[in-house]
This record gives sequence, C-alpha cells and structure tokens, in this order.
Amino acid sequence: MGKIVSATYDENMNYIKDGRIVPPVITVKHLVKNFGSHEVLRDLSFMVRPGEVVCVIGSSGSGKSTLLRCINLLETPTKGLIKYKDETKFSDEAGGSSWPVNKYRTKVGMVFQSFNLFNNMTVLQNCMVGTRKVLKKDKKTSYDLAMKYLTKVGMAPYINAKPAQLSGGQKQRVAIARALTMEPEVLLFDEPTSALDPEMVGEVLHVMEELAQEGLTMVIVTHEMAFARDVSTRTIFMDGGLIAEDDIPERLFTQPKNPRTREFLSRFLNSGQIQAAG
Amino acid sequence: MQQVSLTWVGRIFSDYAGQILQGTWVTLYATLIGTILGILLGFLIGIIKSTPISKDDNILKKAGLRIAKAVCSIYVEVFRDTPMMVQAMVIYWGIRGFANISSIEGGILVIVLNTGAYMAETVRGGIQSVDPGQREGAAALGMGHLMTMFNVVLPQTFMNILPEVGNMFLTNLKMTSVLNVINTAELYFVAKTASSTTYRYFESYLVIAIVYFVLCFVFARLIDLLEKKLQGKADYELTAEPAETGEEERTDG
Repeated sequence: MGKIVSATYDENMNYIKDGRIVPPVITVKHLVKNFGSHEVLRDLSFMVRPGEVVCVIGSSGSGKSTLLRCINLLETPTKGLIKYKDETKFSDEAGGSSWPVNKYRTKVGMVFQSFNLFNNMTVLQNCMVGTRKVLKKDKKTSYDLAMKYLTKVGMAPYINAKPAQLSGGQKQRVAIARALTMEPEVLLFDEPTSALDPEMVGEVLHVMEELAQEGLTMVIVTHEMAFARDVSTRTIFMDGGLIAEDDIPERLFTQPKNPRTREFLSRFLNSGQIQAAG
Repeated sequence: MQQVSLTWVGRIFSDYAGQILQGTWVTLYATLIGTILGILLGFLIGIIKSTPISKDDNILKKAGLRIAKAVCSIYVEVFRDTPMMVQAMVIYWGIRGFANISSIEGGILVIVLNTGAYMAETVRGGIQSVDPGQREGAAALGMGHLMTMFNVVLPQTFMNILPEVGNMFLTNLKMTSVLNVINTAELYFVAKTASSTTYRYFESYLVIAIVYFVLCFVFARLIDLLEKKLQGKADYELTAEPAETGEEERTDG
C-alpha cells in the first residue's frame, strides 16, 4: 500500500490547495492543560486546514488524547486559545469557557476509543438522534442522512440492532456513521481502533481511509503507524505534552529530525509493523 | 380459646365479599396512583440532585440549584428516617387542621411522599451508574445537559432501576395496610372491621393475607413481563442482504 492521499505543503508546513494556503478551520495557540499539578499539555500550537488528514502519534501519556479532547472542549483547557474558523471558542484571556459549546461540537465531531454508542437506542436511532434533536432536521432528512452514512460504513443492514448486539468493529463503524450524520467540518478520532480485536482493526481503518480519500478533514490520534504513514497528509509526533515534530509522513517516518521521534519510531520499525504493511 | 375454623374463612369471604372487593380496589388504586406519582417525584428529585453546578452558570441559577438540592436532601432524610405509619398520622391530621381531605387522598399523598424519598436515592444511584461515556457521546453530538438526560441517561437509568421499581410496587401494595390508621378503607381496614364484628381474628386476617398474596403474585409477574418487554428482542433482523465485502460482515449477534 502506498500513499493514498496526496497533499502539498509549503516549507512552514502550511497545507496548499489549488496553489494557495487554505485558511485554517481549527487554530490552537499556546494550549496548556493541567490536571491538578500535573502538566499534560505544555504550550502547544498548531492549525488544521480543510482537507488535511492529521495523524497524531506518540507514546501513552504524551497528551495526544487530551489535545483532542481540548479541541472540542470536552476538557476545558487551562490556558491558551482555540478558534474555529474566525470564531474564538476558548480563550483564557476572556475568562475561560463561557462560549456556548454545543453548536461548535456539531461542527467538530468526535469518534471515541470506547465507541460511546447510546445503549438504549438501535443503530438507526443512534444515527438519527443528533440530526433530529440537535440540528432539528425533519424525520425524512434525518433518516436519509443516517442511511447514507450507514451505507457508507457498510452497516445499513444492521439498523435494527442494539449496540450490545454488535462486534467492536461494527460498533465503531456505526459511531463513525453517527458522527458523519452531523456533517461536521472536522472529525476527531481518539484512538478509534485501540479497543478492538486485531481482526477488526482493518474494517475500521478501511472506512477511515475512504473518508480521507473523499477529502474529509480529520485529526486522528492513533497507534497504527502504517495507517498514519499511508493515510495522513501530515503527521504530528507528540512527546511530553509538546509537539516534538510536525511533518509530512514521507519525511517523518523515514528521516525524523528529532531524536525522540527516531527513538519512538525505531520500536515500530524493529517490530516490523511498518514494513509488513508497506 | 377459640378454635381455628376454615368454615369461618369461607363465611368471611362470602359475608364480606363486597367490602373485600371494595378494599382490594382501594388498595390497588392507592398503590398504583401513589407509586407512579412517587416514582415521578423520585425521578424529579434524583434529577435535581444529580444536576452539576457549573462555574459558568449565572449566580441566580447557581443559587437556585443549591437551594433546590438542599430542600430535596432535607425531604429525603425526613421521609426515610420516620415510619410511614407516623407520617400518615402527621400528614393527614396536619392537613386536616386547615383543609378538608378524604382519608384516601391523605393515604395516597403519604404513599407518594414516602415512595418519592426512597426512589430519589435509587434514581440518583441509577443515574450515576450510567457509563460516563454515554454522556460524552451525547456531548460530542452537541447535546446539552437536559437533552442528554431525557434521551440518553434517563431511559438507561429506568432500565437499571426497573427491579427496584418492581420492589417499590410490591412494598407499597403491602404498606397501604398502615393507612388504616387514618381510616382509609383498604384491605386491612376491612379485616379490622370483620374481626371486630365476628371476633374471628385469625380467619379475618387470613382472608386478607390471601388477597394480598394473590395481588402481589400477579403484580410481580406483570413486572417481570414489563421488564422483558422493555429489554426488547434478544435478536435483530438484518434489513437487507449484507453488502458483499467479505470479512467485514458478520451475521452473528
């Protein structure tokens, strides 16, 4: 498998589309997050531009998931600035999280490691509740959207099943469909395959790969190195709550500049995960 | 010494048939109305007690929530820490001091308030036992606190506490007997009347014991049925042929 999404970047890692820099959809500036006295994110800045597929890699405890959860404000940052397009969604200077977050979250979807499908609803109800109740779309439109995305992830035949009756891979595909029904501008994935049996990882990664090809903007926290290398347009390596390296995967995976990146990747190179999938 | 007589059991059944039926009806009526309203009250209090106070809320909302929570806590403590029979006397005669209520109305009110206090704690526990991931999933779709509660958390809470709801119905069915202290003409009251006329204590109370048992037994089976119905089908049907994508599709479940 080779690169599946081609992308152009300038020398400052700005995503170039049709010959110009695209304005960012998410801007994170000087983000700090403390849990008590424990500093998880330390002064972290980056942007996500429409069309980018950003994979965030790094060892456990490096702050990857916290970063993702701060972006859609499931965690309230301690300091810093988060912008969606031109709208400020969090700024410590203005006194913290006083912006209404619910509308923002419809624009920035999230797929969780533990799926978080609603246990009291069927697959179809899971995929209609957001559009019906939050976006206030009518029943027909909601149903059509649900079926469109359930078909895309190959789960349309299962609309009457309850989450408890599905396998992990099936649950995650429904969770992706549910997030897509909101037609978000950006979709965040928090280790979407980490809770799955190895044999089910492929079906979920396959769906995400298709979404990448269709140009969906995604930020993916993952431990699947081959996936990050082949699908991302840009890979961020996080270490100790900081962005240690931010580069196109072609360079980051073959000639990492940071010694920490090299050390981290060497374990995967040695384990053969990258070659085996390449 | 009085001989135990099964003929007397039959006689009380036939002589007091009308009153027994009437008493059964009052018992059922008070139990159903009292428990259903009590459960609703319990949900209301459980919801109030588990509403988070966010630092972003305005001062009015914060103060209102704190006061509501305090009132709920006091109510729950008072009703859990006093006997229902005493509550019945205090509430009924207390209200009679300034308003005219019938003993059945007073009886239902006591059941509602007593059930509400117990259910409040059950509901709160039930809300806490719902996986926090469910709330995160809802938050990520842009759902607010109340929308999440009504669409996601409370339906699951209800399923979690359904066995306890069943218990509450059975307990109340039997606890209505204490309402005889305020002269509610329920089953126990009927036995009291019958025994004071016939002096057949064992037989009178055996009659209502049988009625209570039958009522509770039927009720318990109905609750079992409800539980099964609410749990839904153990199986599901595929709506069309699964797409031909090989290993992706599993049909077990």
